[in-house]
Amino acid sequence: MSHHFPEILAPAGSLDKLKVAVLYGANAVYVGGQKFGLRTAADNFTLEELKEGLAFAHERGVQVYVVLNSFLHDKDISELPEFISFLESIKVDAVIVSDLGVVKTVSKLSKIPIHISTQASTLNVEAAKLWKSMGATRIVVGREVSIKEAGKIKREANIEIEMFIHGSMCMAYSGHCVISNFTQGRDSNRGGCAHSCRFEYSLDMGLDTEEKKKAYFMSSKDLEGLRVLPEFINEGIDSLKIEGRMKSHLYAGTMSKVYSEALAYYREHGNFLSEDLIHWESELSKVSHRAYTQASLIEKAGEESIFNERENSSDSEWQMVGKVLEANPKSGIVIEVRNAFNQGDLIEILPFKGPAISILANEITDIMLRPVQRTKPSTLIKLPFVKGVEAFHLVRQKVKA
Amino acid sequence: MKLTTFAQNLHDLNLLKDQGIDEVILGHCDFSRFGKLKTEQYFELAKRAKELGLKVIFEWDILMTEAVFSKASQDIIPFLDSLDSLRIQDPGALEWGLRSTSKPLQFIAENGNHNIEALQGWIEHGQGRLERIVLSIELPKNKIEEYCNILDIPCEILGLGRILLFYTPRSLLGSLIDEKFTSNEEISAIGESEESPHKGFPIIENRHGTFMFHIKDFCLIDFAKELEAFGLGYLRVDFRWSEISLLKNVIQIVKNGSGSFDSFKELYPQELMRGFYLVNKTDVLFPKLKNHRLQNRDADYIGEVIEAEKSSHLAILVKNPQGLKKTDKLRIVHPKGNIFEAEIFSLRNLGLDEVEFIPSESVGLIQFVGGVWVKSHVFYQN
Repeated sequence: MSHHFPEILAPAGSLDKLKVAVLYGANAVYVGGQKFGLRTAADNFTLEELKEGLAFAHERGVQVYVVLNSFLHDKDISELPEFISFLESIKVDAVIVSDLGVVKTVSKLSKIPIHISTQASTLNVEAAKLWKSMGATRIVVGREVSIKEAGKIKREANIEIEMFIHGSMCMAYSGHCVISNFTQGRDSNRGGCAHSCRFEYSLDMGLDTEEKKKAYFMSSKDLEGLRVLPEFINEGIDSLKIEGRMKSHLYAGTMSKVYSEALAYYREHGNFLSEDLIHWESELSKVSHRAYTQASLIEKAGEESIFNERENSSDSEWQMVGKVLEANPKSGIVIEVRNAFNQGDLIEILPFKGPAISILANEITDIMLRPVQRTKPSTLIKLPFVKGVEAFHLVRQKVKA
Repeated sequence: MKLTTFAQNLHDLNLLKDQGIDEVILGHCDFSRFGKLKTEQYFELAKRAKELGLKVIFEWDILMTEAVFSKASQDIIPFLDSLDSLRIQDPGALEWGLRSTSKPLQFIAENGNHNIEALQGWIEHGQGRLERIVLSIELPKNKIEEYCNILDIPCEILGLGRILLFYTPRSLLGSLIDEKFTSNEEISAIGESEESPHKGFPIIENRHGTFMFHIKDFCLIDFAKELEAFGLGYLRVDFRWSEISLLKNVIQIVKNGSGSFDSFKELYPQELMRGFYLVNKTDVLFPKLKNHRLQNRDADYIGEVIEAEKSSHLAILVKNPQGLKKTDKLRIVHPKGNIFEAEIFSLRNLGLDEVEFIPSESVGLIQFVGGVWVKSHVFYQN
């Protein structure tokens, strides 16, 4: 039986992250312009950066989708045509849209393929047929949809299907939460989500006792679908999406690398060896994350999918300590330091393909070649050249046993 | 402008009739988010409503994954003869309603749909079968007026009732109670968070998932005259969590103006709010979510200062495909907004060689410029 293999679609919150995701193996990336997306606080892309990012990705055979997935108000819609013309002129591969007004505007003004965002909470075959009849070429199904259901939607609506395979999750049906709108005056569906679902709540449940239950009851664990990759393939899912345009370079790189390597392995061998799965899962765990869940990928998300803990990014065992800017025998390895490390520390450089390269950082200098005992964030340092290390490689370090 | 509302029992139906209401929304527990009617009860109410001359609107507003939808779209068939209109929110239910029934449809467009193109799009898609569209309560009054004038089917908006903030199909409260919870029961709680200034969010879990509401109820009944003048077709009043006997007070206010509104507020069990009716400014805070001084990365943008050592150098990561030339004159924008202009006296690469040019994606070292710090943005000076 021949299989249709999905693309790995990675988040790119900035031009630099786009390059990281592409170099680490993503088949497609999704990005936001300065407006119309749901990540107002992300760097996002200027028009110049969109052009450059597209050129960079297309040169490497990688597709670029631009998010226009806010629920727009009339005044926002009136600003849209100019941006759509620009996107068409630079030949973006698709736009990701959740608002019917945007779907209609894009269809009227361009031939850019339209992907219906998960924000539209498309959950069933009939809804997919509806969006298809309105011009959509792909549906990013709601995260409540199982892989089997998504396969059925694909077959019966005869439309491309994209599913989230990894990342943070809304607890609510996407697009159906307005807590921020009404409690903080920030439109969550135009990029202003204040993440009220991650708060701890005291709950008076009308029990006999005076005691209130305290719980992060609306906070979901993070999605992780590595082990069910074969199910996505068997159901013919077209695109596997990694959430996280606000997340770090290390996240964009690691996720792109792990999922593209796992997919390539499965394509070649038709199965996974448990030792490989353990390795990839170990790699995924080296990026800051909440506890993982498969959520509703196989069956409806249950109690175990609730995170119910305080957010704490410092819990991560590993952290990114820098990014390689240049690596050659003459200059050595030049690293832009993001988090401090010490002379003598063991650090790992993550190549675009293959296992991490461990380096004992015994000889650190600044760029003026003065010895450094402890590096500082927002500085440049040099290490002796190591074969295989290239610009854009990410550098990480284990910070907890 | 007509009033529309829900009924949960025969008493409610009789009250609606007595108060001159001519339609009723019935919520069956399998199809409606908050519907409590079991099949037998539903049919009893639908029959009685018809006898009273009330139009029966069947609410099917749950969102449905494919498995739920497949079952629901079969299960609803026995109800079709009993209803006058089908009220749906899931786009799949809309599509199914258009293809599989001949019943008039009411589309709940309360979620998003804050632009005329979207609203017209739903109506066009309805091919003449949509008899009503339910507008979002986030719309300000100028937009309600505009849409009521432009759209060629009647519009409805919530006039009184709870504000739904959050809807998930997951069970979030069941796991917190010790007793075994069966999916047919409803659990309720009142929530508050130290991280939110609002205290007392009503929360419900039922067979369809978990729902959180605002601490205050939404109310536009004191603007009823204005809404009527806008051409609004229907004002929905929802007493499912309050007291339907207040309907007569509401009707008085709607008919006679807001004169008795203050006394109504005294009677109503919840505090009331008008939401964004006067103005919706839920995007004004966005510019403060990031440093806009650093957002202008236009064609003149060269790159970013990634190291600054006083009296020594600035390291600039060059991003512009045109690269950085020694002859370039620079404009440097500090994250706090200060602008510095500089010529390049010394340009070195990371091998510390003096060079004339640094290509894109490489680092160039220039002399230190007082006041400039890491994350400053560097531009060509025009």
